[in-house]
Amino acid sequence: MSITTVRPLSFFLSLAALLVVALLLPHFANRGIIFLAGIVAINIVFGIAFNFAFAKAGVLSFGHAMFFAVGAYATGYMTINQDWMPFLLILLVAVSAGALLAIVTALLALRRAGGVSFAVITLALGALIHVIITKTTVLGRNDGLAGIARPPLDLGVVSIPLGVGDNYYYFLIVTCALAVLLMWGLWSNRFGRSLQAVKSDPARADFLGIDVDAKRLQAFTISGTMAALSGALFAPWAQIVSPEVALWTQSTMPVLFALLGGSAFFLGPAVGAILFGFLDYGTRTMVGVSDLLVGGLLLAVVLAVPGGILGMLSTLWNRFGGRRNNGATPVATSEVHQ
Amino acid sequence: MTGDLLTILFNAMTWSMATFLVASGLTIVFGILHVLNFSHGGFFMIGAYVAYTVLNYFGFEIPLYAYLGGALVAAVAMGVVGVGVDAVVFRRLQNVEGVYVLIATYALLLVCDGFVKLVWGLNYLSVSPPNGLLDAIFMGDAILPTFSLFVIGCGLVVFLLLEGVLNHTSVGRTLQAIAIDPWMARAVGIDVSAVYRATVVAGFALAGLAGGLLVANQSLSPELAHIYILQAFGVVIIGGMGSIRGAFVASIFLGFVEAVSATYLPNYPGVLFFATIALVLVIRPQGLLGKEATA
Repeated sequence: MSITTVRPLSFFLSLAALLVVALLLPHFANRGIIFLAGIVAINIVFGIAFNFAFAKAGVLSFGHAMFFAVGAYATGYMTINQDWMPFLLILLVAVSAGALLAIVTALLALRRAGGVSFAVITLALGALIHVIITKTTVLGRNDGLAGIARPPLDLGVVSIPLGVGDNYYYFLIVTCALAVLLMWGLWSNRFGRSLQAVKSDPARADFLGIDVDAKRLQAFTISGTMAALSGALFAPWAQIVSPEVALWTQSTMPVLFALLGGSAFFLGPAVGAILFGFLDYGTRTMVGVSDLLVGGLLLAVVLAVPGGILGMLSTLWNRFGGRRNNGATPVATSEVHQ
Repeated sequence: MTGDLLTILFNAMTWSMATFLVASGLTIVFGILHVLNFSHGGFFMIGAYVAYTVLNYFGFEIPLYAYLGGALVAAVAMGVVGVGVDAVVFRRLQNVEGVYVLIATYALLLVCDGFVKLVWGLNYLSVSPPNGLLDAIFMGDAILPTFSLFVIGCGLVVFLLLEGVLNHTSVGRTLQAIAIDPWMARAVGIDVSAVYRATVVAGFALAGLAGGLLVANQSLSPELAHIYILQAFGVVIIGGMGSIRGAFVASIFLGFVEAVSATYLPNYPGVLFFATIALVLVIRPQGLLGKEATA
């Protein structure tokens, strides 16, 4: 299982390939496709952020839209009403707001409830945040915030106008890549392995001296913070934020990405988000078909291919590879799992 | 003032019983199979649309027997769908981790959404209450629509029937035995998988029945599933997960929360409701009514 195996080479190659495609895209694609690519990049960060808590620490959240929405609304509000603030400071404040919300949620609920009950608590909290947003006048109530600007990126030496041409797109892609890189580091280092231990066997992890509650809280906070970052990047990209981003249907998007792509794999949610981007684009004019397709696909994955697309590919790969180097590797893997 | 109190009381009971009707099937499936079924809202919604289609033949003058007949058709239709869904989905989820089950039933809800959008479209549709339930009773300042009294009556009848079946028949006792210990039930010769199938079918039929009975309670749109499933989830969870009596008490409790918030915080619908659910779950994750009786 690749959840314990770390393959830096394949990760860096995949990330580099994605980055090259994303950065070259403006040279041969139209505005619609570029916009979609930006949304997919945001969804990749959102999906990986969710999966960090779900697959790595075993914490299922059905309310991740609240972090996305807090990031998006905070960024939207500040770019409209506090335009003296440099853009990086706006992003920092927005992401911190998400982090704070994640810590509060975790402190309130994570110690007392796990599994399905925690998922339902996050669902209720997410619904609460959605209602509050639709009733807050400074956040545009049911209409949301429109006309969100793309402020200049002031780096001290140079100031890049993000509102010009494809500049914001490049900024978005680079920031997403950095966020993915950061999460990969946390996923595959000692910290990530301790989360793995907490998920696999909390009692044994506790016995070995790992503070289970603290690890879960940290994993959930990282996850919420990164989800807020994806929301913060979304606001200036779409230039409009509506309360739908706080709805629980938005919370289920990263669940879908992770399961579709394969939640045991770090890049699983990325594969899911890309595939979903294609599906969404292909069915955008057909009312109802997209729900049927997405629902049917998700159902098929849970029932028939629990490992997702990457899980299926990995099984096929092992079956082919297993014939040739029959021996050491499979035995070693099973030893690790005992 | 008395009119105010009466209105709150009445609105609370209408909301409670409407939500209880939806939550009853959800509770039974959760109590026996331990599956928190997101798609319950979806099948409730399809039930309402099926009843709408049936009642369309009667135009604006719907006799009461036709209204009840429509609900019955919806119940039977959803029960039949339940047989299929059980065979294709629920059967395979028995050995799957809880969180994946939750996700699978959510996927099923999406399928229901898509189905409704394809068949009935995105527009708001509505059905008027049946003849005889179109007017209202005036008590002081309070206006009590007779249709709301009908909804309250339906909720009470369904509750009493379920309570009767679960506590005073051999079928009910078998169900309780399985809910508590399926392994032991199997050991003493109970066909557990047949009971599971019957439970899913009964849960789905209750979803369809609720859809048919409540079809005139609000307008129909593909949002319907999402509105009711969150309320019903709240009820099932606060009611201590899987106990019909708990769900009944929890719907009344949440009905009062909702009615009080509608009267005193009319600009913030839902805030008090979700805050209450979150608070209760944080303080008592096992629900307000604990784990005394299952199913």
